[in-house]
Parts: sequence; structure tokens; C-alpha cells
Amino acid sequence: MGFDIAFVLAALPDVGAASLINAWMAIIICLFALATGIGLTLVRSLKIRAINAVVDIFISFVRGTPILIQIFLCYYVLPLVGLDLNPTTAGIVAISLNSGVFITENFRGALSALDDGPIEAATALALTPAMIWYLVILPQLLRRTLPMLVSEGTVILKNTALLSVITVTEGFRVAQQIGGATFRPFEPLIAVAICFLALNLILVGFGNLLERRNAAIVR
Amino acid sequence: MQLDPTVITDSWQLFVTGAFITLQLSLISFVLGLLLAVPVAALSMSTHAVLNGIAILYLAIIRGVPFIAIVFIVHYGTATMGARTPAFWSGVIALTLFASAYFSEVIRSTVSALPPGQWDSGRVVGMSRLQTLRYIIIPQSLGPMIPPGVNVTIMMIKESSVISAITVGELTYQGLVVQGNTFAPFEVFITVALIYWGITLAFSRVAIWAERRIGASQRSIRPVGGIAERYLTLSRPKRRAEKS
Repeated sequence: MGFDIAFVLAALPDVGAASLINAWMAIIICLFALATGIGLTLVRSLKIRAINAVVDIFISFVRGTPILIQIFLCYYVLPLVGLDLNPTTAGIVAISLNSGVFITENFRGALSALDDGPIEAATALALTPAMIWYLVILPQLLRRTLPMLVSEGTVILKNTALLSVITVTEGFRVAQQIGGATFRPFEPLIAVAICFLALNLILVGFGNLLERRNAAIVR
Repeated sequence: MQLDPTVITDSWQLFVTGAFITLQLSLISFVLGLLLAVPVAALSMSTHAVLNGIAILYLAIIRGVPFIAIVFIVHYGTATMGARTPAFWSGVIALTLFASAYFSEVIRSTVSALPPGQWDSGRVVGMSRLQTLRYIIIPQSLGPMIPPGVNVTIMMIKESSVISAITVGELTYQGLVVQGNTFAPFEVFITVALIYWGITLAFSRVAIWAERRIGASQRSIRPVGGIAERYLTLSRPKRRAEKS
């Protein structure tokens, strides 16, 4: 059959438009994942033994099982306990929790590398723990983990393609549909790969911009 | 909600077969991926602009395109080019490409983290570049490569679940088959998740043991002031068994 670039170009407008759905989902998930990551970090820092034990098992589970299975669990299992989510919401929940866990694990590493001086100073100034987290620790933490956060963003964007398996109509699914309709499955896949590559390049470029602005502040 | 254990007990053979194929996929791709990672890492460390450019492009594509797209591109691509591969081998090729990109980054970052003086010292004692690599660089790099290498391997095992989409009968695929027969998603996906969890946990245990044997874990624990410790650690300090 051979490869025909014309079919790639023909598929590009539709696939590109559908890939913007991936971009939107990724932006929403990034915010949720960051919130989850920060939330888990704060909860763990309280060092309540029972809660930490549960959180640790949850973290181990999320890190030890495939994201695809986690998506299935959110999509098929949450309805059984009364949470009937549409595929898009279930997918957003699954990926947010997954990335949130990876973010909190990264925060844990970065926390142990933070300087203790500013925190002692803040304590001496009688700042409350909430203020210390908000004013002293989180700003440093986010700056230091910025490279990891950007790469987690690309992981999130790539994971949104998996939502095609629970029938979310996004870029990859549209590419498969075009492939099925035209009996040329290969060329639309190249088109969607180009779209994801372009979105990821934009994301990494944006990350580099942030990092350059940060370079002056950190250290 | 009620759990029905017969869903699992009636088709346990499928889960075993699936887990076996998942391990097969992962093991073959692990070996091939590691082999392919060496030239990719060499290219990415090359100072030659064109060779380096090739590596950058390769890494950007493999790491920037969703794995599910890579799987389908390999599967349909080989068919489009006239060499139809069985789904299992399409999966192996895709997972090998994936692994090679991430393993090459592990190699590159470990080797470039060595002090640059190591290459110079090799020269000083009259070693060729290859000899320096063989006797100085590689022995020092193997230990530090283990922890990130283990992470990549676990990532690979997890990512292999996506290969179910091209109907390779691995663990996730078998789970979907049983799910389709029984309409019991909870039992099925929890079981599948637990098997994956078991595999990755077992693997990371083995890796920790191997790392300790090679003696690579030279963790330096920085002392933190008592007040700041409240904030900067997320678990209670464990009593560490001091080993002689």
C-alpha cells in the first residue's frame, strides 16, 4: 500500500483540532495534579502515623500499577460506589491522581534538600506553620522542582491519549476513526504524532522560559 | 456492592497467561532496549552536530509522542511498508524503542555526572579512549545507573499494558477479556492491578538487594535542624540499622 504524505496532510486539520481537546484536558489535569501533589505533601508532613500509612499504600499502588488500569478503575469502578462519572471526568480524575502522586514523591526529595535556615528564621519570627508553608517553603519547592513539573506536564499530555480507550473523543481517537473510515490507518497516526510532538515542544519551550526567569532567583 | 470471587477463580488461567506474556514482553524489550540505548547514548553525547542532532530528534519523538501512538504506528507502519509483523513483535519493537530512549538518558546522565577529570586521568596514564571507557568510566557508572535504571524498567513494565490495544494477550488484555465475559469490572481490574503491583514491587525489592550488593547506595543524609525537620521530612525518622 505504501506511505502517502497526502493522507497525512488531509488528516491533519481534523486531528489537530481534536488534539486541542488533549491540550485543554492536560491544562486542567496539570492544575489538579499540582493541587493533589501539594495536598498530599501537606498531609504527609503532619506525620500522623495512621494517615501516613494509608497515604503510603496509596502512593505505592499508584506508582506500581499502569495508568491504563487506573483509568479503567476510575471509569468502571467508581460508578459502582455511586460516583457515575462521564468518561472525560473519570479520565481527568485518574490522570490527576496519578501525576499528583508522582509530584508529591518528587516534592519529598526536594524538601529534604531545602535549607533549614529560612524555616528557623520564620519560626523565630513567630510565623504560623501555614504561613511558613505558604510564604517560605512552597515558593522554594515549586521553583526547585520546576524541571520535574514540566516533564510531568508532558507525561500528562501523553496520558490524555490513553483516554481514547474509554471513548473520550480526543486527538488519538479521531485519528483512529479517520483511519477506519478511509482504510488508511497509518497516515492519520503520523498526523496525531506530529500534533502531540508540537504540543509537547510548546510545553517544553514554555517550561524553558519559566526556568530562565527562575535561574536568577534560585541560588 | 458485592464481590464475586468466582469471576477470578473461574478464569485464573487467563490472568496467569497474561502475566506471563507481560513478563515476556518486558524482558525481551528490556534486553533489546538496553542494547539499543548504548548507541543512542553515544550519539547524544557526541560533539558532532549532525550525530547529536539525530539523537535529539530520536529522543524528542520517542518521548514526545504518546506510547499508544507509537504502538499503533509500529503495528500499522510495518504493515503499510509491506512487512506485517505479529502483534506481539510490534509490541516488542514499540517497547524497545520506548526503553532505548529512557535507558539512553540514564546512561548519558550517569556518565556525564562523572567528574571530567576521569577522562583526563585515563589519558595521563596512557590509555586510549576505549580503554578509559572500559577500565575507568564503565566500572564507576554501573552502580549509579541501577536506581534510575530500575525506575525506567518499572515504567516499561507498566507501559506494556498499553500494548493490549493491538490485541497482544498480555495481562491488561486478558483482564478486558474477562471483563467482557463477566461484566464484573471491579473484581477484574483490582486483580489485574494487584498482579502488576506484585510484579513491580517484587522487581524493586530485587533491585534494592542488587544495589546493596554492588554497594552503590552511598546516601549522604544531611543533618537538618530540629525545627525545620518538622517541615522538611514527610515521615518519622526510622531507626537505621548501622552496618559495619
